[in-house]
This record gives sequence, structure tokens and C-alpha cells, in this order.
Amino acid sequence: MECQDRTELAQLQLERLQSTLNRADRNVPFYHNCLGAACVEPSAVRSLDDLDRLPLTSREDLSKNYPYGLFAVPLRDIVRIHTATGTGSNPTVSGYTKKDLGIWKEMVARSLTAAGVGAEDIIQICFDPGLANWARDFKGGAEAIQASVIPMTPLEVPKQVMVMHDYKTSTLVTTPSYARQLVREMTRMSVNPNSLSLRRALLLGEPMSESVRTSLEEALHIQIQTGYGLSEVPGPGIAYECRERQGLHINEDHFIAEVVDPETGAQLPPDEVGELVLTSLTAKAFPLIRFRTGDRATLTTDICSCGRSFARMEPVKGRADQLVVIRGIKLHPQLIRGIMSRLGHGSLSAYVGFVRRLEDLDLLEIWVRVDESHFSDEIKMLEHLVHTLRRELEQSLGIPAKVRLVEPSTMALYEDRLGQILDERANG
Amino acid sequence: MLKIRNLQTFYGRIRVLDNVSLSVKPGEVVTLIGANGAGKSTLLNCISRLIPCRQGEIFFLGTRLNGQPPEFVVRLGICQVPEGRQIFQPLTVQENLEMGAYLRYGRRDKGSIHQDMDMVFSLFPVLAERLRQISGTLSGGEQQMLAIGRALMSRPKLLLLDEPSMGLAPRVVADIFRTIVQLRDEGLTILIVEQNARAALKVADRGYVMETGRIILQGTAAELLEDNDVKRAYLGRDYREFTEGRS
Repeated sequence: MECQDRTELAQLQLERLQSTLNRADRNVPFYHNCLGAACVEPSAVRSLDDLDRLPLTSREDLSKNYPYGLFAVPLRDIVRIHTATGTGSNPTVSGYTKKDLGIWKEMVARSLTAAGVGAEDIIQICFDPGLANWARDFKGGAEAIQASVIPMTPLEVPKQVMVMHDYKTSTLVTTPSYARQLVREMTRMSVNPNSLSLRRALLLGEPMSESVRTSLEEALHIQIQTGYGLSEVPGPGIAYECRERQGLHINEDHFIAEVVDPETGAQLPPDEVGELVLTSLTAKAFPLIRFRTGDRATLTTDICSCGRSFARMEPVKGRADQLVVIRGIKLHPQLIRGIMSRLGHGSLSAYVGFVRRLEDLDLLEIWVRVDESHFSDEIKMLEHLVHTLRRELEQSLGIPAKVRLVEPSTMALYEDRLGQILDERANG
Repeated sequence: MLKIRNLQTFYGRIRVLDNVSLSVKPGEVVTLIGANGAGKSTLLNCISRLIPCRQGEIFFLGTRLNGQPPEFVVRLGICQVPEGRQIFQPLTVQENLEMGAYLRYGRRDKGSIHQDMDMVFSLFPVLAERLRQISGTLSGGEQQMLAIGRALMSRPKLLLLDEPSMGLAPRVVADIFRTIVQLRDEGLTILIVEQNARAALKVADRGYVMETGRIILQGTAAELLEDNDVKRAYLGRDYREFTEGRS
């Protein structure tokens, strides 16, 4: 399938696109209305080039249809329900039929195989709880190719290093930032990389610069591959890197990728940078029609020297929208706003979020201005506020967060950036 | 082998096929399932060029079939076994089979015609026994065998079967589908249109599900047999018929 002739692939994509549209139009009122509003009938799509006549779908649309509004099959056919952080107060919920899960498993298996993973490998999966869905998918995909899997567990970093060393892990699956933490911890524990059985790592979930990749490869004496996935559909396997490392192959038998101008939404030609837009071709429970990923990407369709004919995208370099990616979790300013207004009943309106890198650990820190209404003689009250806020943030995001109360005078420095999230990490 | 893109067909003002795209690869058995009136037979008739299509393209082995007459399609190697058999009832079994080889008749190619007839008899021994019988007097199952045999006489590369199980007793249906498996194993490419979804999916490699002129689902036969929509809409009915038949 991965090396299929491109005209055959185009026929397959067209057939699957048309039936996906027919199902979405019939079973999902949201898509039916969207198509109606754009005056497009599903039958107007006569070739893959007609795709740009269809309306785009955004993350907001996913949140608005919380929880089950975008499901295209009855709930009794759903075998897994999955939640991702949304853009507003509602998370996004997606569902999967048994067959959908099988397809995801196959896509993850493909990306592992392309990275050279086989039945003889021992795979260790380390993600933050916020990416638990990806961890689950990697477990499924790795088991499908009969590798030995050490599933995600909430162990501390030193314990993970111990497992990696003692269990003779050959393949590590994690985010670039987690890999950096592991390297730092290894140095602290004086674990020599040569004493590990590690041969490769699959790092994904956040942008990774070539320099970071090279430095990690040198530090661990391994090959590093990357991949691409969305948190809305629990798939780390939408695109994967082969060993030629000439971009990520998109699983085009299951997705059509386009790149659009983030401002106008107009389709861009190959090799131009824009926002990645994905349309699912086989998803039964949760079809996505021209979903704006918010990731900046370029596409190319020349045949890769590995022989796979699937189109490739450059590894994602950044975001085309306001989302901040922290340890693989996508964070929208709106989400923080929602939590603040809920907990503070309007009194916590002045805050700024920071994403910082401290000793290779990416952290979310929220500064909240203490107003007079908060000044209370009881220090306990303030402590309680900080505690609740932190717990709430960690609950919704699945990553650790810090909360600091600051004086109005300090906050004045950020007067024009209240409510924003400032990314203070050095690039990469 | 066969590639169809965006086919639209109208009966008067009623749209029967709505943007249908479908493909069959060499050596594959593909089935098109759907309720009565979904447009399945219309699609086969479009491929055979018995009815015109308003929009879309049909390619067979790279040749465009649009605008060509039916005999051109047969010559290219597509033969349709029509719904309800449609054998030449007043003619004998032998004459019917010879009609299947009509394109080769003028070429004094009798040797090869006899060879092919022997092949048909090895598939359907009962036809050899009934060789001189007027075909209208055959049973339904035998007529269906004759219709398939007649199509095979044209040495098709792609066989189109329209409702081969229609109106036949369950045991005869099983016989017909056994023959389809045999033809598949010999490497013949087959497109079957069926309301008996379960039987068709059991012999097919892949399937398409059609609803009111649109393809709403496709996949491998195994996937479709497991699909809940297909189970509810098509297999469930079969299940009911089956139990009713036994009570």
C-alpha cells in the first residue's frame, strides 16, 4: 500500500473521499449544515482537486459540538471515547468504532516499521498523562508488530532511566522534551549511554529542530525518527518518517493532506509553507472534513528514495495559530481563560502564562495579579487559591503547572499581554 | 482493470446514480451490495453500455467505454450475466451457449468454441445432460448456470453478475456461489451485484455499499461483514429471512 502507484492511489482516495462525504452529509447534522451553507453537494466533489470547494472545519467547531455532535455512527457502535483539550471551556471528544481502532493501530505499526522497529525490539513508552492516548496507540501498534512493549507508567525520570537500562530497552517512544530530561538524568546518575541497549528513539508531539535531534542522537548514540499526529484523533501515526529522513510520509490511504493560507484559507501549491489541513478517508465514527490542524507545514509529492509513494510533509516547525505546544500538549489561551473565570468568579482576570524551559524541563507557569479583593489576612486563603488553581490546570492539561501570585507593580510590566501565554523557550 | 469515476445516471428526472466511483483490480472479486432500488443494476448496465450515463467516466484496461456500443464492450472482454437470467428460452442449451461465443462464430473457430463448451460443462455438468433441451424448460437454478455458462463462452476478462441468487432456492444459491468461488480461484475478475449481502461478501475480496445512488461505504469483504451498519441494514434482513424460512 505504501508504495502504490499514485494514479491508483488517487482513485482509492477519490472513492473513499466520496463515501466519507456521503456518510458525513447523511449522519452528521453539523457537516450537512456546513455543506448546505456553502451550497456544495457531496456530489460536487468529482476529483481530489474539488476538495477546496468544501468548507474548512476548525478546533472551535469540534468544541462547539461537545460531546457527541460530530459522531457519524450510533453510540452503540463506538468502542472508545477520547478527550483532548479543546480551545474553550469544552474539551473535544472523539469516538472510534472497532474498525477505526484497527486502522489507527495499523498506521502506528507502519510508523514503527518505517523506523526499523521489529518483533525483536523492546519498546519503552514515556509520555505525560496528557498524551496518554498516544501512549495507548503506540502500545497497540507495537504489539501488532509483536514487539515487546513497556507501556506508559507514571514513573519518575530516574526510574525510567533505570527501566531503560535494566530492561534493555531498544526503542524509546516519547517527546523531545522528555528525551532531554532523560539525558540530563542519565548524566546526573552517571549512566553511560554505551551501557544501554538503546538503538533508536521515536520522538514526537512537539517541534524538534535538527540541532536538538543531532545533539540527542550524539548524547544517546542512537538514531532518532519523528512523526506527526493530532490530539483530536488519538493518532500519533498520521505521518511518519522513513530512514531516508526526507520528510514525513502521510498515510494517504487514510488521510488527504492540504496546505492552506492560514489567513484566507486558500489552498497553496506544494512546497509552500502554510497551515496543514487534513481530511479523513476511512474514519467511520469521527470523520474530519478539511480540519485545520493549526500546524505549519509544507507538502511534497516527489517519490522518496525509500520507494514509498505517499506524499511527504516537512516536520512541523511551529503553529499557525495561538496554540502553544508544551510537552506535546496543545494549549489554547482560551482554555486558561475558562479555568480562571470559573475559579475566580471574575476576580482573576489579570494573569499571564509563561512556558519556560528549566533544566530541560518545559514548564507552564501562571502569574496571577493579587488584587485588593484577594488580600486577606489569612495566608491560608491565598495558599488555597494557588493550590486549587494549580490542581485545576494540571487536571485539565495533564502536565505539571506552577502558579505564582504577584504584586500589581510587577504585573504592570505585562499590562498589554494579560491573558496571553508567552513562550519563553529558546527555539527548538 | 475497471475504473469508474463520478458516474451519474438519470431515469427521466430521477437521479439513479449520484457521483459513483468504483474500481476493480485484476483477479479481484468485488461486490456491490445495497437495498432494492439503490442503483446497483443500473451501474452494471452503464458499464455494459446498455444505458447511457450523463456524467462520469468508465475505463476498462485503459480504454474509455463512454459512448461505445455494447458489442464493443463485450469485445474488450466484459460480459454481463443479466438479472433474471434472460436466456434465450426457445433455444436449446447448446444454442444458448453458442450464442455466447457469437463474436467468434464467423471466424470458423469451432474448435475453440467446443473447447470452451467443455469447460462450461466441467463447471456445470448438468448442462451437458440437458444439451438438447429447450432452455425455457430448465429449472431456475439450471437457467442461472446456463446464463453464467453463456457469458463464459465469450471468454470474458471481467464477468458482471447481476443478482445471481435472485429467486433461487437456498441450496441452489449455495451451488451458484460455489461456482463463483471456483471461477475466482481460476483467476477470473468478477463484479457481483447482490441483495444477498452475506453470500456475496463471503466470496468477495472487497465490497461497496450503495444507498439511493451513492456509495456510502467500502472496504474489504471481511471488514464489511463486521461493520455494524452493514449488519443492521443488510445482514439483519437475511437473518430474518433465514429464520422465517425455517419456521
